[in-house]
Amino acid sequence: MSACVQDAPLPHRPAARPPVRPGWVGEPLRLAALLAPAAAVFAAFFLLPLVRLILIGAGGAEGWSAYLTTLADPGHLDSLISTLALSAGVTLVTLAVSTVAGLFLVRNRFPGHALLVALLTFPLAFPGVVIGFMVIMLAGRQGLIGTVTQALGAGKLVFAYSMAGLFLGYVYFSIPRVILTVMAAAEKLDPRLEEAARSLGASSWRVVADVILPALKPALISAGALCFATSMGAFGTAFTLATRINVLPMTIYTEFTLQANIAAAAALSVLLGLITWAALAVARSVAGTSVAAAG
Amino acid sequence: MHSLSNRRGWGFWLQLGFTLLVCALLTVPMAMSMLAGLTANYFVGLKSGLTLRWVEEVLRVYSGTILLSLQIAVACLACTLVLGVPAAYALARRPGRIARLVEELLMMPVAIPGLATALALIVTYGSVGDLRSSWLFILIGHVLFTLPFMVRAVLAVMGSIDLTTLEEGAASLGAGFLRRFATVVLPNCRSGILAGSLMVLTLSVGEFNLTWLLHTPLTKTLPVGLADSYASLRIEIGSAYTLVFFLMIVPSLILMQGLSRRGRPSV
Amino acid sequence: MMKPFLFGAAALAAALTTVVTPAAAAEPTAICYNCPPEWADWASQLKAIKADLGIAVPFDNKNSGQAMAAMLAEKDKPVADVAYLGGPVGIQAKDAGIVTPYKPAGWADIPDGMKDADGNWFAIHSGTLGFFVNSEALGGKPVPQSWADLLKPDYAGMVGYLDPTSAAVGYVGAVAVNLALGGDYGSFDKAVGWFKDLQKNQPIVPKQTSYARVLSGEIPILIDYDFNAYRARYTDKAPVAFVIPTEGTVSVPYVMALVKNGPNPDNGKKVLDYVLSDKGQTLWANAFMRPVRAEAMSPETAAKFLPAADYARARPVDLVRMAEAQKGFMDRYQAEVK
Repeated sequence: MSACVQDAPLPHRPAARPPVRPGWVGEPLRLAALLAPAAAVFAAFFLLPLVRLILIGAGGAEGWSAYLTTLADPGHLDSLISTLALSAGVTLVTLAVSTVAGLFLVRNRFPGHALLVALLTFPLAFPGVVIGFMVIMLAGRQGLIGTVTQALGAGKLVFAYSMAGLFLGYVYFSIPRVILTVMAAAEKLDPRLEEAARSLGASSWRVVADVILPALKPALISAGALCFATSMGAFGTAFTLATRINVLPMTIYTEFTLQANIAAAAALSVLLGLITWAALAVARSVAGTSVAAAG
Repeated sequence: MHSLSNRRGWGFWLQLGFTLLVCALLTVPMAMSMLAGLTANYFVGLKSGLTLRWVEEVLRVYSGTILLSLQIAVACLACTLVLGVPAAYALARRPGRIARLVEELLMMPVAIPGLATALALIVTYGSVGDLRSSWLFILIGHVLFTLPFMVRAVLAVMGSIDLTTLEEGAASLGAGFLRRFATVVLPNCRSGILAGSLMVLTLSVGEFNLTWLLHTPLTKTLPVGLADSYASLRIEIGSAYTLVFFLMIVPSLILMQGLSRRGRPSV
Repeated sequence: MMKPFLFGAAALAAALTTVVTPAAAAEPTAICYNCPPEWADWASQLKAIKADLGIAVPFDNKNSGQAMAAMLAEKDKPVADVAYLGGPVGIQAKDAGIVTPYKPAGWADIPDGMKDADGNWFAIHSGTLGFFVNSEALGGKPVPQSWADLLKPDYAGMVGYLDPTSAAVGYVGAVAVNLALGGDYGSFDKAVGWFKDLQKNQPIVPKQTSYARVLSGEIPILIDYDFNAYRARYTDKAPVAFVIPTEGTVSVPYVMALVKNGPNPDNGKKVLDYVLSDKGQTLWANAFMRPVRAEAMSPETAAKFLPAADYARARPVDLVRMAEAQKGFMDRYQAEVK
């Protein structure tokens, strides 16, 4: 352990109090210098290339209107809508599943609890390609679900290569992250609030609806936003399932490999990025907490 | 942690059943794939016997991808530490409109699809020197993608401690800035740094969206190799490869678990 | 407490860099785009190149479309030295200005129509398209014999074909079914109609070579080349049949080209010479491709092919017209087949 004065953190205090101290000369300069390396790398390797990409998107025969044309293309519009619908559905289902399971795990202790938490969060670090493979294991031709339905005499149920398979994959991918966030937030709940509600005669259901869920709301919004953003941009799972699933990242990839249509791929990428980024930003301003640090 | 264990009505068992079902959804395919990686012939089934031959084949053919992924992950961690921790400190010391804007900007590589970032990097830097065929090209992409996670993890901890007061205390004892940073700031947010580091390592090892376009035949990373093997090799080899991947990420995940169980800032 | 961590990380990165990098850079290499080990037995060919020429060629699982896209994106500073492409893609690569003329040793032996006059691309072998069927994965159904069979509900969820908008073999499949059903290069109505009908059977449409998925039974019927099916049958001893559909099909050359301004042009040229040499051509023949220098095929290998009567239903493609028609077909496929 280091010999620092205070090892334990001080109680939480709002960070918004004015930090400017007249005695600390040159502090803004120092802070700017600390931020500079990250800013430089970010500007050189992200902002500059992104601007270049946006210009390429407009560099085709149609100029800037290419962005409108690209969006107006029925195929692209279709793929945008199905991507939005898929991501929204995945977000809702994941939130519902993870809230039930996460609350249960925080509020109950039983033998095997730690193991269950460990198993539920293990897929946290799986890349999309691995998730796709897991979906094939579950719902592919030799998958568990097909084998079970066949044994039950209902014929082989195979849905890995459809939108349902992608849906399953994205839910699979999102559950560990959201469960972790829900559990972290639920552990911070003040049990006295719940006790007070109970002592006033509220039923368990009312306690959940009126006390617990409102208290979890910021965490749920931020976790949901991240889940939505990840589903919008995910590519590896769809790539492994490798069917003609009509989601935007696949469309972008097809545009790129189809006669190397870099301009259309660029235009679609920029649109997708804007939508996702906006979703994250809105969620953050609603929830008021750090969104990405969750999980 | 209030225990309600004395009243385990049907609600408890219902919720337990549901949670177990979710757990099964996540773990059954993992178990199936691990078993497939050890089965002599998956199509025939377990009666064909268990073997390590597929794992050996993966290590023979793909050990390069595993080493490269580790190399990139460690280098990526070093970069995000050097870039991210000071940046998080600067943002924490001056909260406000500009800090928020910088934070939002740093988040962009997470929001913009990896394919687009990779495409942008290729059209901008693809023809600079030998960068395109070097592993550093992939490293750049990974640093962009993981930096916000490091910044935010550190920022979350810095936001919950009173840096200014701590630093003033140290300054009043005559400590200069570097000394304060090294002996007061860093130790106090080490849980955030550790959490961010684990996040960066696991994200980098698993990154595919960017890497798929950034890699060349000489710079294949583990997820690229995985995608290759799923698409075109025997299912047993893909499974054995997945098994190797699982074994690789287990240590960092156990650390993460320990960290989240021990809870907030103080380690 | 953080300092040792930082130093440790930096030291580890430095150590790994020094250990890993030189080993990769030391030996002479050539980069080939689209040389997948599980396709056309590139694995054996690359092994032989390494053994005989001392040139390491890392395998690469791009398909023709992905290789084209990558070469276009990297036009200013190419990564690849040579590329292996489905027939018509060679012509597109020439038009895009990403390949450069080279007449390899053995150039004179390549029949006309199988090479670009200047050497921008040249065929190395060809294959015939048909059905690559895992007969044990059909769930008791008979092996399909025609394009029409694949539309039957019996084969729901069992048929796979590579994405025609991305992989060369996918587009070859479209040309084959189009010509077999009475269409021509001018109109792809027949193919588009057939693909539309096939969607009712929920086909699996991968983008990469899917040889292993047929062997594992994940894709029981794949529209693919004869050489992959024969390899599964004779080399991997899998329960596999190859079917030349009754309505007819096509045979297609695969070409190679030297990438313009590639990083290791001399090694690239040696590789191109090698794949056309006696040794290289024999290797292709042993892997059940029709070598472009036909005499490289031994009678024993030839005996493993389907009878000549079946192959009479396969006609050669017109590479130039096929290349011209590609964009139009892809647009229609993307717009109409869902």
